[in-house]
Amino acid sequence: MIAVLFLVVGIVLGVVLEPTVPVALQPYLPIAVVAALDAVFGGVRAKLDGVFDDKQFVISFISNVLVAAFIVYLGDQLGVGGQLSTGVVVVLGVRIFGNVAAIRRHLFRA
Amino acid sequence: MTERSEGPRFAPDLLTEMFQNPLDPGYADAAARRAAEGPKPRWSRVTSGGFRLLVLVAIGLLFAVAYRHVVAGESESSRAHAGLVDEARGAQARTDDLQGQADALRDEVAALRAEALGAGSGELRALREREAATGLAKVTGDGVIVTVSDAAPQVDPTTGKQVTPEGGRVLDKDLQEVANGLWAAGAEAVAVNGQRLTATSTIRTAGSAILVDFRPVTSPYQVTAIGPDDMLDRFLAGPAAALLRGLKTQYGIDFATSRRDDLILPAAGTDIPLRFARPDVSPSPTPTGGG
Repeated sequence: MIAVLFLVVGIVLGVVLEPTVPVALQPYLPIAVVAALDAVFGGVRAKLDGVFDDKQFVISFISNVLVAAFIVYLGDQLGVGGQLSTGVVVVLGVRIFGNVAAIRRHLFRA
Repeated sequence: MTERSEGPRFAPDLLTEMFQNPLDPGYADAAARRAAEGPKPRWSRVTSGGFRLLVLVAIGLLFAVAYRHVVAGESESSRAHAGLVDEARGAQARTDDLQGQADALRDEVAALRAEALGAGSGELRALREREAATGLAKVTGDGVIVTVSDAAPQVDPTTGKQVTPEGGRVLDKDLQEVANGLWAAGAEAVAVNGQRLTATSTIRTAGSAILVDFRPVTSPYQVTAIGPDDMLDRFLAGPAAALLRGLKTQYGIDFATSRRDDLILPAAGTDIPLRFARPDVSPSPTPTGGG
């Protein structure tokens, strides 16, 4: 519950403070959001599985965002940024789906 | 991760592995380590818990920022679009306004002239007839409507877009043929989609649009003509109708004619400027030639 509370605090901060994203970082925003979603759902599933670990959660979020951004950056430099973005989104999307399915099994036993 | 170091980490089928085991193995590893080593000291749990909350705040912040970003981008592009639409509407309204003013002024001129010449005088009647013949005055009478339109669009099987089949577009040349055919069949006044044709009118293509006297007209094109009763038969027997019948069977261009009573054709929107000739203002009839 406290986790949800802090998530909401973050959203409220974002709405209230209206931080501006530097133009150079804007292309990575969507990828970062997908990576963050992956970390969040992975954490929720781990919590329900009873194996949640703070360190693992923190590191998975940071590394997810950094690796995803790095892959997209590399793709941009090589001229295949769009394709690599798609690849990142597909991989993270599959993981999100799998984790959400596990969460669903936990919550609804179905 | 050390517990699972034996054997290959990747199953032979990467996709199957990915779908079956989406959870980070790290969570399981950490749980196993905890079970093996016992719970961590209290300070370690407090700091890592703090980091977790920090990351959660960061994720929330990220969501909010990304959402704001997307919304801002959307409103920006839709704002630009709305601005352009408004501009176009304004320009259209201004054009209509000016056109109305021009019509009112023209009516005023006509009324003043009728007054000056004296209503019912022979000169006024002659003037009116000439204006009607040249397209400078509104005319009414019985005639025909020739409707020509682009071939029905077909759905492209690969892209799913609606495309007009090759050659299925009405060309400026086709409309010219129709207009000329109507003139040849005895028409006294011709209009394309409400644009009256005069002796100097142009029908031509600009990009994918057809311009009649520099005003765009779109499919279906209605060519209206006022003329004698046998005009339609003569038009249908002429070369223009033959051409259009050919286009209809070959390319699917729609072509239809109908007789219509009490047609009203508007005056031509543009005055015909005299560039070289000058009207003679002397009241007496002047001899022509070297007299």
